Amino acid sequence: MKPKIAFFEFTSCEGCQLTVVDSLQDHPELLDVVEIVQFREAMTEKGEDYAIAFIEGSCTRPSDEARIREIRERATYVVTLGACAHLGGINSIRNRQELENVREYVYGEKKDWFDTYPARPIGAVIKVDAEIPGCPIDKKEFVTAVTHLLQGRMPYIPDYPLCIECKLKENVCMFLRGKTCLGPITRAGCDAICPTYGDGCEGCRGLVPNGNIVSLKNALRERGMTEEQIDAKMTMFLTYQQMQTEGAAQ
Amino acid sequence: MTTLLKETLENSSIYMPTPARVIETKQFTKLEKWFKIELPSGYSIAHRPGQFLEVSILGVGEAPISVCSSPARSNGTFELCVRRVGKMTNALHGLEPGSMIGVRGPFGRGFPIERFRGKDIIFVAGGLGLAPLRSLINEVLDQRGKYGRIAILYGTRSPQEFLFQDDMKQWQERGDIEFHVTVDRPYPDWNGNIGVITTLIPRINFHARNTIAAVVGPPVMYRFVLIELLAKGIAEGNIWMSFERQMKCGVGKCGHCQMHHIYTCQKGPAFSYAEVKHLEEAFA
Amino acid sequence: MSLKILPKHLFQAWVDRLRTTHRVVAPQEQFGQYIYGEIEAGEVVNLEYPTSVLPPKKYLLPPREELFAFNAKTMDMQPIIEDIPPTIIFAVHTCDMHSLMLLDKIHSTGYTDQHYRARREKTVWVSVECMKPCMEHAFCKSMGTLSVPEQFDIHLTDLGDRYAVDIGSERGETLVTGFTGFWEPRDADYQRMNEIMAEKWKHFEYRLNFDVTELPELLASTAKTVVWDELGDLCLACGQCTKVCPTCYCFDVTDEIDLTLTNGKRVRAWDSCLIEKFAVVAGGHNFRSSRARRLRHRFMRKGKYQYEAYGLMGCVGCGRCALSCPVHITPVDTFNRLHAQRVKAEIAAQVPG
Repeated sequence: MKPKIAFFEFTSCEGCQLTVVDSLQDHPELLDVVEIVQFREAMTEKGEDYAIAFIEGSCTRPSDEARIREIRERATYVVTLGACAHLGGINSIRNRQELENVREYVYGEKKDWFDTYPARPIGAVIKVDAEIPGCPIDKKEFVTAVTHLLQGRMPYIPDYPLCIECKLKENVCMFLRGKTCLGPITRAGCDAICPTYGDGCEGCRGLVPNGNIVSLKNALRERGMTEEQIDAKMTMFLTYQQMQTEGAAQ
Repeated sequence: MTTLLKETLENSSIYMPTPARVIETKQFTKLEKWFKIELPSGYSIAHRPGQFLEVSILGVGEAPISVCSSPARSNGTFELCVRRVGKMTNALHGLEPGSMIGVRGPFGRGFPIERFRGKDIIFVAGGLGLAPLRSLINEVLDQRGKYGRIAILYGTRSPQEFLFQDDMKQWQERGDIEFHVTVDRPYPDWNGNIGVITTLIPRINFHARNTIAAVVGPPVMYRFVLIELLAKGIAEGNIWMSFERQMKCGVGKCGHCQMHHIYTCQKGPAFSYAEVKHLEEAFA
Repeated sequence: MSLKILPKHLFQAWVDRLRTTHRVVAPQEQFGQYIYGEIEAGEVVNLEYPTSVLPPKKYLLPPREELFAFNAKTMDMQPIIEDIPPTIIFAVHTCDMHSLMLLDKIHSTGYTDQHYRARREKTVWVSVECMKPCMEHAFCKSMGTLSVPEQFDIHLTDLGDRYAVDIGSERGETLVTGFTGFWEPRDADYQRMNEIMAEKWKHFEYRLNFDVTELPELLASTAKTVVWDELGDLCLACGQCTKVCPTCYCFDVTDEIDLTLTNGKRVRAWDSCLIEKFAVVAGGHNFRSSRARRLRHRFMRKGKYQYEAYGLMGCVGCGRCALSCPVHITPVDTFNRLHAQRVKAEIAAQVPG
């Protein structure tokens, strides 16, 4: 019997689900091996009986929590899709700001109409079984993750730094090109797509376990980055993880 | 009869396994499962106690696993005892009789059984360490007359973790060996020894000069067992241990099992203390 | 085997002729660095490039390589021994030729790696005599790799307006046969070659503060110094040093299978002993959990372990790791620091009280 799967989104751009749609173009056989019962991005039917739930987006308001917990209760496996669900994503940039100011900045005088709180990853609300990182997710990694789930095991996500993959592609190091890069402390798995196209890594796949952040920051300073620039670079995707290590995360 | 190793080496890729069939399984404990495997007809495993196989589930991966049956009791079949710790061993636990796996090997050098002849032997097994050691123990017991006195010491965390209970019963009943078992902490309904494995060693009173020891257990166990055995006066060259490393390729290429300048998969996994005592990172 | 002379103006024509029978690869510029790739014309062969991002080992051990294909349901398996086109690897520095010696030894010791051997048999190595350090981090003279080892098929020495073409093997001989531009060396050629060879050594600095034969022993006696902890604090454990190293060959193996869980491949990819999980065993124990331990292991491999296991130094002094390290950890500095540390300890031992 084909396992039933469903897709859900919270605060996000839905780009990861778009990547899922895209992977269906490359791998139409996905539909032979799983049954999609809910996927707002691609279909109108809405089934509530599913074994695997894929969640995109971060939790940014108290009212999202109940729905997230409900998904957890129904699904055998919960797998997050992308940086927002995995790390809080760019939504958590605001976590370093006064919430009131953020509301006013975004919603202006209608700020009281909207419910909000510091952005957090899905894993901060419920137990998740696996996380597919990235902004957006990598198509190939998504398909591999589904394969692993079909084999009855948790998806394998690399736990080594991006530099490994980047060098396998023989990219000229961003540091040697006079640019900066978070590759040495960022989890691999994206096939080093940004450096391959000439941009330094922004850390969308999150920190590698036990990465040497202190030493990397020194390396960035040495290459002329100001404290402000370094903070900005480390804020784009890594705010929540960094605040967690500081003990300041919600 | 062709040996499995010959088959492995004559394949056009040393990394390609030979298919084999699971013919019998037994859930030993919550974490450990026992498998009896059958090679294709005409093949024999021809291993030495202490050697390991690279075991594959196609599509999942490969892992090094010691053979736990003795050479004399293995031929077209052999046995493995697998602890569920990772993706490969998890998948192995899902296998039932009839399932197919891939095997390469046996690799490594194993225990030097000829050096055990005529000597008094102390076997020291901690936890899953009994699996590779059982191969050696049964090999020795099958030719009992060639060896001196024999003591088997076996420790686990709890009585629920005992492996090879049929063998344990036989060893208990034989009058010609000493067999002592201990568990780390008191448990209800357990009336036997309590304490870590090292507490059993002082009970054995063999002549140190003619004693050889074979020790297999988790990495942290070795240091403590060594202190006891060396204190007894057993020669450094007569204390044999099997080292657990990540032997990914089995053929001395992938680098994962390197201990100092030695590839454990080739020169080991069995080493005497004399061979490794000066090596960085040999002990945990 | 024999020596021939090739005037420089015929070099391109010779390479173009080789291209009709072989895939010719050589370093080509990209963002200020050089990358080995197939050349489109003889004129792009640059014999004076600084160093390449990845060493030419990638033609023998590709970063990612399929080992065999399988059907998980029928257990049918097919080995994948890649049949590469006959390939000429051009402009190889002598340090990289020394690494070839080590790679050959490793892949034929004990069990032969047929995947390596199949590619090795299809490659022809054209090395070049280095006249000056190729970049600031090179320390070939210190590691004894400034002269070409026997592995070369053809070895080129720049004599100004012409090349001395040393033919080292029958395979090398075939590259020369049939091209009319070569001439037999005359006295003047030998004389020029002797001058150049005598001249070149002074351009290279001996950069270790001790004799390289002492390196294995130095590493043994400094295994527990604080230098390793200090370097461990600095190291990013990004693994670039291992990827660019011409003598690193460790790999990881994974299975890839299609969505129907039927057909798949077993694949190996370059691994790195700098990454955290490299030495973790099944029970979970990590034999090198700290960055300091992992970095030390890498340096030990380069300066001691490989020597003890295979009789050849694991470091050939190419300097790629130093160039690629974002935090400037270099073998020369590390080895010299260890040496200074030992000298200090020796002096301390002599001072009474």
